[in-house]
Amino acid sequence: MRAGTRTLKYIVILLIILGLLIIIAASTGVAKISLKDTGLILASRIPGINHFVNTDLIENQDIVIISQIRLPRILLSVFVGMALAGAGVIFQGLFRNPMADPYVIGVSSGAALGATIGLVFITGAGLSGISTTTIFALLGALGTTFLVYNISRIRGKVSVITLLLSGIALSAMLSAITYFIMIIKTQDMAKIVFWVMGGFTSATWSNFVILAPIVTVLIIISGFFMRDLNIISLGDERAVQLGVQTDRVKKTLLILASLIAAVAVSMSGIIGFVGLITPHILRLLVGPDHKILYPASVIAGGIVMLVSDTLARTVLMPREIPVGIITAIAGVPFFLYLLVKSKKQFF
Amino acid sequence: MSVNGNMLSLKNLNFSYGKKKILDDISFNAEKGDFISILGPNGAGKSTLVNLISSILKDYRGQIEVGGRNLKGLSSKDIAKMIAVVPQYTNPGFSFTVAEMVIMGRNPYISRFGAERKEDFNAADEAMEKARVLPFANRKFSELSGGEKQRVIIAQALAQDSPILFLDEPTSHLDINFQIEFMNLFSNLNKKENKTIIGIFQDINLAIQSSKKIMLLKEGRIFNSGSVEDTINRENIRSVFGSDVFIGRNPVTGSLYVSPVFNTTVERDSIIQASNKYSKVHVIGGGGAASQVISLLHSSGYIISCGVVNTLDTDLDTARMLGIPYVAEAPFSPISQDSQNRNLEFIKSSDAVILPAVEFGPGNFSNLVSVNKAVGLRKRVIIIDKENIEKRDHTGGKARELYGKIIKDGAIPVDSANEVLMRLQE
Repeated sequence: MRAGTRTLKYIVILLIILGLLIIIAASTGVAKISLKDTGLILASRIPGINHFVNTDLIENQDIVIISQIRLPRILLSVFVGMALAGAGVIFQGLFRNPMADPYVIGVSSGAALGATIGLVFITGAGLSGISTTTIFALLGALGTTFLVYNISRIRGKVSVITLLLSGIALSAMLSAITYFIMIIKTQDMAKIVFWVMGGFTSATWSNFVILAPIVTVLIIISGFFMRDLNIISLGDERAVQLGVQTDRVKKTLLILASLIAAVAVSMSGIIGFVGLITPHILRLLVGPDHKILYPASVIAGGIVMLVSDTLARTVLMPREIPVGIITAIAGVPFFLYLLVKSKKQFF
Repeated sequence: MSVNGNMLSLKNLNFSYGKKKILDDISFNAEKGDFISILGPNGAGKSTLVNLISSILKDYRGQIEVGGRNLKGLSSKDIAKMIAVVPQYTNPGFSFTVAEMVIMGRNPYISRFGAERKEDFNAADEAMEKARVLPFANRKFSELSGGEKQRVIIAQALAQDSPILFLDEPTSHLDINFQIEFMNLFSNLNKKENKTIIGIFQDINLAIQSSKKIMLLKEGRIFNSGSVEDTINRENIRSVFGSDVFIGRNPVTGSLYVSPVFNTTVERDSIIQASNKYSKVHVIGGGGAASQVISLLHSSGYIISCGVVNTLDTDLDTARMLGIPYVAEAPFSPISQDSQNRNLEFIKSSDAVILPAVEFGPGNFSNLVSVNKAVGLRKRVIIIDKENIEKRDHTGGKARELYGKIIKDGAIPVDSANEVLMRLQE
């Protein structure tokens, strides 16, 4: 089967799974709402279909819970998951390194420091529904990316090794500053730790309305570079010989992936493993061709994050667990299982 | 893309890394259908040349023209449509299948917002067919052997459908059967599809079998360029590579071959001093049969002469190389009376005459007559490998008959060159 048909097949299957999981996730929670009612409420929110849906028989309270509380949270988690997995695929491809994740060049520690500064020192309502914490986290993430990128640029070329090393070095320093602030402002420590661990408890429609279009546009633009990413994984020089403008493509993808990761992390805090493991799982399922791997990983990242966040808010109901704990505790064994299984198959 | 005439031309190309000059005023033209090999030692600038032409390196002075157009005015994709490179080896970061690897060669033809079309898949299939990788199109590249991997990379380059194929030591880490297979493949592409092939090779012999032109590169400069016959000689190889070689001719294909000369340092005490009874030895040559015994006797300290041999004969090359006197005849001509007389002069002044396992035909039958005279002159005559004279006789029995007489009259038959040494020391 040719790549195009295969891509379409995987994407359709993954989108159906995502759709079904959104309905299930929306119906689960402290307030019990039936799948049928959930489906009707969700349908009533979709433009075009809403005229044919009658929600008169459903209690108003349920409609509010789903459309004002659960739905923004679900959609935000899906988009953050998509962003992290997409950025993960790009970084792993660019660095030809399976250990790369969206935070590899220091986006997360930059965001953490920014969020900490926002939480501790800045008082204010933020901008158009976006909290100061989020804004400062975004500034921290972007600032770090910018710094690391410029440090590693030598005569117009970006050195991967320098990029990784300066990312690690700068991350260490930024984390140290974050810890220092936590020590001198002990009263805010819990807030900072909770933000850093990541989650979607404070999700609102206004967050989603900002995040979704930015992430969508960046992910789609990056998608046009996936043939190049395949070829770049043969080595920079070989890629030039095959007609790829290696330096320019690498810079473009680096900037796009860093922006995607920065926007995601500023909305959700640092959620580990999704951006690292989702691409690996999908590589085992659909193969390494980025033209298939990337769109499939993006959707799968949404699925993984949605499932993790749903578990995070329902396992110990009514208490919540930080979603990062779920992604690590549930995601890692699953990944290790796939790793061992594929080893037996191939070696 | 089809272009006639000059496919690739370099004009006064200069390149430096910092202050170190790597390429110094390189100019050359490759025309359509050329097969040019670039030879030179490590550090001569060969890889830099590949990197400049495939536009991996850009800060050069001078001009590179591809298909008559300035390289600097061409996009990466345009260059890849004109020149496909076969690198030494490729190590993909992920385990792509063979088909996925080969279709990457179509990248120059696919726009950023487009997808692979039917013609791209057809071109990839055709390339896989030529490189004989179609049967394992769906296998993982990482699971293939070194030679199979290189076939895939060749298919990837062929999928680029470019008029120029640039080989960057494509066989240097492969075993001999893959080297031969690939050189045959490149030769066929050159002959049947008129592809212009420019190659960098470590193995001079491999290069000269298929090449039409040779470019010798030394310390960033073109030392010599031209046909194989004009460029591959002892002096050039020694100047460029700094090593002593022996240049002979393959008796089957007639093409040149180069083989290194290893210093056969002989133990001092094993050298027979000229005080020996049989210190001057004449060796009958022909078809390379004498080379072994000549070099053995030479390294043991004997004074040797050789004759009569044809000009293109390996035995003559051996004699020339060791600087021993010889009698030569024009190539593919029968031995003249004059040559035979000069040969007899050598025999008369020698103490012993050696007859190696030479093939005899009407052209060199007179050599056997000379050996017969040597027996008559009471010279010590030693004959190597008498058993197989029947196979080596192409004169309809005449040679065998005279051979028998020579042995009957007192020539000493032996089995090997080492035994010759023993018989001379008696």
